Amino acid sequence: MIRTENLTKVYNGKPAVDGLDLEVGEGEIFGFLGPNGAGKSTTILMLTGMIEPTGGRCFVDGIEVAKDPLKVKEIIGYLPEDVGFYGNMTGEQNLDYFARFYGMNAKERKERIADLLDLVHLGGVTQKAGEYSRGMKQRLGLAQALINDPKVLFLDEPTANLDPEGVREYRDLVSRLAGEGKTVFVSSHILSEVRAVCRTVGLLAKGKLVAQGTLEAVARTLAPADGDAVQIVVETRERLPEIEDPEILAVERNGNRAIFRAKTDIRDRLAASLFEQGVHVREMRLEEPDIEDVFMAVYRR
Amino acid sequence: MAFDRLLNVARKEFSDHITSRRFIIILGLLLVISAISIHEGIEQYNDNLESYTEQFQYMQESDDPYSSWMPSKPSIMYVFISMMGYMTMLGGILAIAIGFDQVSKEKETRSLKTLLSHPVYRDEIINGKALGGVGALGLAMALALAIAIAMLLVFSVVPTLNEFVAILIFGAVSLAFLLAYFAVSLTMSTVSKESGNALIYTLVIFFAVSSLLPMFGTMAADAFAGDPPEPPDAFVSKEVVRTVSGSGYYTSSSSQSVVYGGEEDPAWKEYEEEMKPYVEKRRFISDISNILSPQMNYYTVAMAVTNPEISAMIYSPYDAASEETPGLADALGRVWMNIAALIVFPSAFFAATYVKFMRMDIR
Repeated sequence: MIRTENLTKVYNGKPAVDGLDLEVGEGEIFGFLGPNGAGKSTTILMLTGMIEPTGGRCFVDGIEVAKDPLKVKEIIGYLPEDVGFYGNMTGEQNLDYFARFYGMNAKERKERIADLLDLVHLGGVTQKAGEYSRGMKQRLGLAQALINDPKVLFLDEPTANLDPEGVREYRDLVSRLAGEGKTVFVSSHILSEVRAVCRTVGLLAKGKLVAQGTLEAVARTLAPADGDAVQIVVETRERLPEIEDPEILAVERNGNRAIFRAKTDIRDRLAASLFEQGVHVREMRLEEPDIEDVFMAVYRR
Repeated sequence: MAFDRLLNVARKEFSDHITSRRFIIILGLLLVISAISIHEGIEQYNDNLESYTEQFQYMQESDDPYSSWMPSKPSIMYVFISMMGYMTMLGGILAIAIGFDQVSKEKETRSLKTLLSHPVYRDEIINGKALGGVGALGLAMALALAIAIAMLLVFSVVPTLNEFVAILIFGAVSLAFLLAYFAVSLTMSTVSKESGNALIYTLVIFFAVSSLLPMFGTMAADAFAGDPPEPPDAFVSKEVVRTVSGSGYYTSSSSQSVVYGGEEDPAWKEYEEEMKPYVEKRRFISDISNILSPQMNYYTVAMAVTNPEISAMIYSPYDAASEETPGLADALGRVWMNIAALIVFPSAFFAATYVKFMRMDIR
């Protein structure tokens, strides 16, 4: 549904996005991760037809964005970071103004706007948008992104101004939209947020795509090489005895608990050895690399 | 569909303008002052008409050798001369108030980014904004003219068809003047990131072209035209200099021929012959500078519409006075450069706005 080929944007001689190759399938909830200034928003602006790439191409639903931005805008919805509205108009009037660009007639607009305002809990709010709190603006932003019932939804830092209840509702909404077959592209620098809603992620750093796939796969890809060592966590009921195995590189002991660093996964041999020594095993697992740590390491690069 | 999108933007902008407090306040002030000055103008017109009628009756009844000479009938267009003064100030402020934050406010509130995420081209947005502003200023001008015409009718002054056409042309010229400053403020709004800066830049340009340019023109004329020719000694005390002023900005002078016993004095004639190119040169130099000033162009064109006789005299001080009152078309023909400048000035700023808006970084 979304594809970029060597997508590049250069500002004042500096590449904000540098040869980005990305692919997001239909119905996916894709998390676009990266630290501030990584080029996430610039990428979204190119994907939504708001700025032209310096090089490369991007496609949404098979349409090359730079060649037909209007056609793309008709099938997408976009919630910008720190979304803005016309402060002298109510939420309903703002949505009506935007809805007119889609050629919707008065009846369609009225029904659609009423539904969306109810969806984001702004139905019946008569305040002008200029008097809205940031959270209310964010919710209205979500409504305006959905005004045309888009196939693809681009959300830039969608939970930035939402309270916990708003975040929960947003997550439910995104899951529901994906259930309806819509593709959702969520840009964020908050890993926990992406982790909560996204099935696949892409990690951007300094304008380049560092990794793409499921969160776990990306974390594994990005984990420090550290030879080919694996970490095995073991906890026993009795005191952990000495275990001899040529594959073991190091052991970090703490009473009944230990972390074995080994060349390969030796859980079967460990279990057998402990059993032979009459030690009861409470827990034995392969330690996955900590996703937060892995991503933080990339952010700090 | 493209036109629908442009109209959608224009409709919203127009609605924003006419419902904004600042527009309503300035427009209200403009209309009140307009009504007062029109009222004064009508009283003046009635006085002039009365004098004309008396003089007309006297000339028909008397055996005076000048009985064939008729004073010109006062025109109701005199009523509109007073409008010129406050139109250049309040009208200018109204135009600036409409345009100075049209784009910059959208940048500040980030609504421009939201708007651009919907299916609308940038040129449709900027053209729609311009159209909305033009519509609001057109409405203001139409209201001012409607009040003026209504007051004329209330005071039983019925314009002829020609006068009605002249009133409409006066309205169009006034609107063109307002568009000049609207275009400047729209450009500054597009160039500036903040509305405050846009307003300051616009006001700087406003005062530069309304005050500095005419002053510069006069100084340049003084510097390049040199000293005026000396009048013949015998007639120095008899020189007649006539000054025509309009709203404090416009100053022009011309000399009158001195005729004794039906024969023109040769020394005076020679002096006139020398004076003519001097005056022409001075005017040419100051006109070059003034052509860049919407105020000066407006005064010149509006004067041609409201008072073609004075306009003709200013433009051709040495031509023999015609027996007939110069027509509106003739008067407008003489000021074609000013008319063109009134069109070119806003067009240039609109073009600059367009180019800047199309290339604007919306990150």
